[in-house]
Amino acid sequence: MVVFGWLDWLWVALYLLIMIGSGFFFYRLGKRSQSDFFLAGRGLPWWLPAASVYATHTATDTPMWVTGVIYRYGLSGIWYTFFSAWCAISAFVSTRIFRRSLAYTQAEWNVLRFGGLGAELIRGWMAGWQVFMNMFILGWVGIAMGKVCQFLFGWEPWVGLVVFSGACALYVLAAGYWGVVVADFQQGMIAFFIIVLVSLWGIAEAGGPLAIVQKLTAMGEAHRLNPVAFTGWFTGDFPVAWFLTMLFIALLGGFGMGTTIDWFAEAQRIQSARTVRDASYSIWWGSALVLIRNALWAVAILAFYVMFPGIENTAEYELGWFRLGFDFLPAGLVGFFFAGIVAIHLSTISTHLNLGALYATRDLYQHYVKPHASERELVWVGRIATLILLIGSLIYGLMMEEITSWLIFALWIMAAGVWLPNILQVVWWRFNAWGYLSAWIANLGFSWLVVWVLPAFDILPPLADYEQFWLLMVLGALVYLPVTLLTPPENMDHLVKYYVMARPLGWWGPVRREAERRGLLTPKTQPAT
Amino acid sequence: MGWIRRSWTAAEADEWTKEDVIAIILSPLAYVTLTLGTALSLLLRWEGLVTLGVGIVLTALLHWVIDPKLKAISEEYEQRQKEYLQQLEKTVRWET
Repeated sequence: MVVFGWLDWLWVALYLLIMIGSGFFFYRLGKRSQSDFFLAGRGLPWWLPAASVYATHTATDTPMWVTGVIYRYGLSGIWYTFFSAWCAISAFVSTRIFRRSLAYTQAEWNVLRFGGLGAELIRGWMAGWQVFMNMFILGWVGIAMGKVCQFLFGWEPWVGLVVFSGACALYVLAAGYWGVVVADFQQGMIAFFIIVLVSLWGIAEAGGPLAIVQKLTAMGEAHRLNPVAFTGWFTGDFPVAWFLTMLFIALLGGFGMGTTIDWFAEAQRIQSARTVRDASYSIWWGSALVLIRNALWAVAILAFYVMFPGIENTAEYELGWFRLGFDFLPAGLVGFFFAGIVAIHLSTISTHLNLGALYATRDLYQHYVKPHASERELVWVGRIATLILLIGSLIYGLMMEEITSWLIFALWIMAAGVWLPNILQVVWWRFNAWGYLSAWIANLGFSWLVVWVLPAFDILPPLADYEQFWLLMVLGALVYLPVTLLTPPENMDHLVKYYVMARPLGWWGPVRREAERRGLLTPKTQPAT
Repeated sequence: MGWIRRSWTAAEADEWTKEDVIAIILSPLAYVTLTLGTALSLLLRWEGLVTLGVGIVLTALLHWVIDPKLKAISEEYEQRQKEYLQQLEKTVRWET
């Protein structure tokens, strides 16, 4: 347990006052329209959504997760955090295409890309799935804060969950995305400063960089300093095959949309940027900061390792980075550190409250319930959806222990079998709504079989996660490719309209030629007029 | 560096060109080198400082290559955005 002085509590109180106050400061902007409540009027310079990308992906459980993999594997554990590198290619491919579509959400993009009943089915499914996923993430992250508060102050876990998620909801309800992004900017700066301060302090406590290297060598643990300390091609904890699969998923995923769970929050930031260029840079720089932050954390955790080696209990060593701050920072600064943790927490909570409400409002309420709702009504529906998400997340958070393994499985099935279809929908004109829908349905069945059922009956040996990924990708393709080719392509008028607006990359030859034939585009061989 | 195009018309910038391919290659390399460079530099390893330096150069080069094109795309696209937004609102209201 940590004892706070008056200065520590002052930091926390001041911080909460600024965050909630900024929400009310932007209340008038947020309530103007649906576009303002969810996209800040599509007018943000790149550095604001970039800060939001960074802040959102720095959650309370992120330092625990990064600490876990670095403590276990050493510097090579940094590759477990490298999945956010999908933004490397996305910033210049799918971000550009998505920004040009102007879709509020990924679900809305689906009806611009596909047409007819299939597209509407995808939109409805995608919107419902995203409302659920955001509620789940809110519960997951919220209860992590509850556990941190329990570790620090001895509070029951529900107290930290309810107090901080509730405080965050105040400014999200008031100002919508304006409140989220402005608070994210402040939270991002505070969080980055705190991460640098605590990490460098921890490194100094371990005797400095050279002492860390010397101690690891003396302990016979020098391999922990090697970021590519593979354990074999296919064997051990860190095989080359896993590493190559990770790079494949992370980097090529940038050609698609929805290849990672992070895409859906990023899509909102992309549309809130004022230009295509601002959208690209916001994604690129936001993720670059995330990766640099991970590198900083990694070294701090090596420092923690040399001071506290041999901890077997995962729950104990996962709190390593937090311990660097609370065990070693002087009185007065501890409260500032806790304010930084609150900043990390609120930035993630606010994003998912507003993002879940966006899908509920735009894709479910407006599109399927009341298409001609006024802007004022849509903003109010957004607020009500925010409140429902908050309440749902508190319930999820309190039952999270029982359902976490199931929901991690749900995340995994979303990633594996639909990874390639999420790319194909962007780069291949012939891929249609029925192919995409069949990929989702097939993936639900195959993933249960491959991950749970067949190994339980000894029909299939237990596979490593990267092996499951490749198997699910092949099995899914055996379904969605025939379905796509046996059903008609999307309506050519619809495809031409989408192509001229979004200008996608890839295999779009027939659509391109049709657009040229209609005089909508200049043939590549002719000079532009 | 005459091979890299620095001046674009709107229609030319809308096409996918070798500048995009270069950005797609440079960008992951910049991420890898910035990540590893930062970690190894904090451990005061000489290879870390070199890697970080490479990462910074790659980042600058990436922006130098792609920025003129992104500017041209943005300027051209923003002029048509209002019309596309009206179409989007019609779609959500089932009017198309």
